[in-house]
Amino acid sequence: MKRTSLTSWLWMIIGALYFLLPLIATADFSLRAEKNKLGFLAYERVFADPRFISTFTFSLYVSILTIIASIILVVPTAYWVRLRVPTFRRAFEFITLLPLIIPAVVLVFGLSRIYGKYPFQFMIETPALFVVGNVIFALPYMYRSVDIGLRAIDVHTLTEAAQSLGASLPYTLLRVIFPNITVALLSGAFLTFAIVMGEFTMASLLVQPAFGPYMQQISSSKVYEPSAVAIISFMLTWACTGAIQLLGRRSPGQTQVAGSR
Amino acid sequence: MAFLTLTNIRKVFGMAVAVDQFNLQVERGEFLSLLGPSGCGKTTTMRMIAGFETPTAGTIHLDGKDMTNISPTKRNVGMVFQSYALFPHLSARDNIGFGLKIAGQSKDAIAKRVNEMLALIKMQPQADRFPHQLSGGQQQRVALARALAVKPQVLLLDEPLSALDAKIRESLRNEIRDIQRALNITTVYVTHDQEEALSVSDRVVVMSAGHIEQIGTPLEIYSQPQTLFVADFVGSMNFIPGTVIDNKGNVRCASHTFNVGTNVSAFSANTAVRLALRPEELRVYNREPQQPDSFPVTLNSAEFMGTTYRLHLAAGELGTLLAEVPANYARTLHTAVGAPLQVQLPSEMLRVFTA
Repeated sequence: MKRTSLTSWLWMIIGALYFLLPLIATADFSLRAEKNKLGFLAYERVFADPRFISTFTFSLYVSILTIIASIILVVPTAYWVRLRVPTFRRAFEFITLLPLIIPAVVLVFGLSRIYGKYPFQFMIETPALFVVGNVIFALPYMYRSVDIGLRAIDVHTLTEAAQSLGASLPYTLLRVIFPNITVALLSGAFLTFAIVMGEFTMASLLVQPAFGPYMQQISSSKVYEPSAVAIISFMLTWACTGAIQLLGRRSPGQTQVAGSR
Repeated sequence: MAFLTLTNIRKVFGMAVAVDQFNLQVERGEFLSLLGPSGCGKTTTMRMIAGFETPTAGTIHLDGKDMTNISPTKRNVGMVFQSYALFPHLSARDNIGFGLKIAGQSKDAIAKRVNEMLALIKMQPQADRFPHQLSGGQQQRVALARALAVKPQVLLLDEPLSALDAKIRESLRNEIRDIQRALNITTVYVTHDQEEALSVSDRVVVMSAGHIEQIGTPLEIYSQPQTLFVADFVGSMNFIPGTVIDNKGNVRCASHTFNVGTNVSAFSANTAVRLALRPEELRVYNREPQQPDSFPVTLNSAEFMGTTYRLHLAAGELGTLLAEVPANYARTLHTAVGAPLQVQLPSEMLRVFTA
């Protein structure tokens, strides 16, 4: 027992070092912009760069749109699948995993071929196609989050209970299902946010002024700033993960499944 | 016309017939139970009344209106579920007021009705608690109040007590019955627990394999089962295989001959039958003094049930017989394992079924 515990700790330390060492090295490097002195000069330069602000704001805007579009698309779909066609749940899960299998380049090429023509040009001329692409990329994460949320409540019985009290399906979805999967929705939303903020391939192929391509651009022209931006990006992702954890803990009763006590 | 009428209901899922040839009339204010084993179609029948399933054939009328194809949201039928189905994000008060809000009632009207319901289920102090802060029994009472708040025409209860422990189950079933009587609401109760069905219902419908075996008062169902299934399913029953000898009521069971009177007149001679007798209908005596029309048995085991003793008796060629005697009377019997006893099967109590 004790030996097993020691082995577990050893592997955990090796794993932690594998992930943390490059990160610590990057953080250390980002603080060495001034000669023989540790400081935040690289960070100051990054924050002073108008392109950082504009690309960051743009990605933030796109991520919010992506989250809204994902929720509108995924929640009713996942709810409907669980309620009416549960036998197709595996098929739907497979479909939602396709964005992980299909290379981003192929996906963007297909999307731009279809939406680059009349009457959809506006999609390519505005961030609309970028949002749509991000919705597709975030689909595996959003669908799984929502599905886990729905699994934690008795969707069928709650829906029937609401219906027996006169509630329509849209009303049930909004007033019964939504409030009981908020934690799952927020988890999906934060994951989507993290993905969109770091998205590079699609943004550069669609020539979008996003944060991902900005990180790549400065890495080819600056020395310390790319490390600073990488650390900022990591911190953003960690903040999202922390928020998911925090929300998961602060949800008394929200995921409770009715049962005997 | 009855208040709730189900006519020639049939429900098929794929190739499986869940309910067939189902005809039922429920009077206004009646408490009716659908009793049967798992998979007998009782829940499917209830779900058709609620509107969650559409009958493959047949019609459902409620207060004279055809409800067969009406959406569950428009039926005004209250339902209580086995798993309570309380909305986890709403307090007990808000759960009860949910249906009233949908009905578009004013805030004052909702508050008044919710308070009435909380008083009815005696849960005013817990009104602002969330479902996860309530016990199973309290959750089910809130679910009952929620279903009743909208003043439904019919109350449907789908095994509402099966997730609760025995003590709460008993008190809550009495509470449900009291509330039902107080409000005089037509109630259909689904259960597989015969004790529950017999104790609270005005009438019981015993179902098996999608069809009705018998409809009757609890006493009729228990004392005059019409089919072998009902006799076997409701309560405990001793079955003794035999053959009709003549049309004078004589049935031969192994080397014994029992006269069952006119009960057997419907059967012709040489028909294979099963005699049925409730454990409490057997008369058990010590071996001495010899009782008329009795035969010797040996005590295999005795179970103390509180007010009664359940005796497992080895009756030779007749197999094992189960007898239930009052605990006070059992003290006068030899109850050691292997004790010699004798039993009488009163002919007026013997029921006869085709084997």
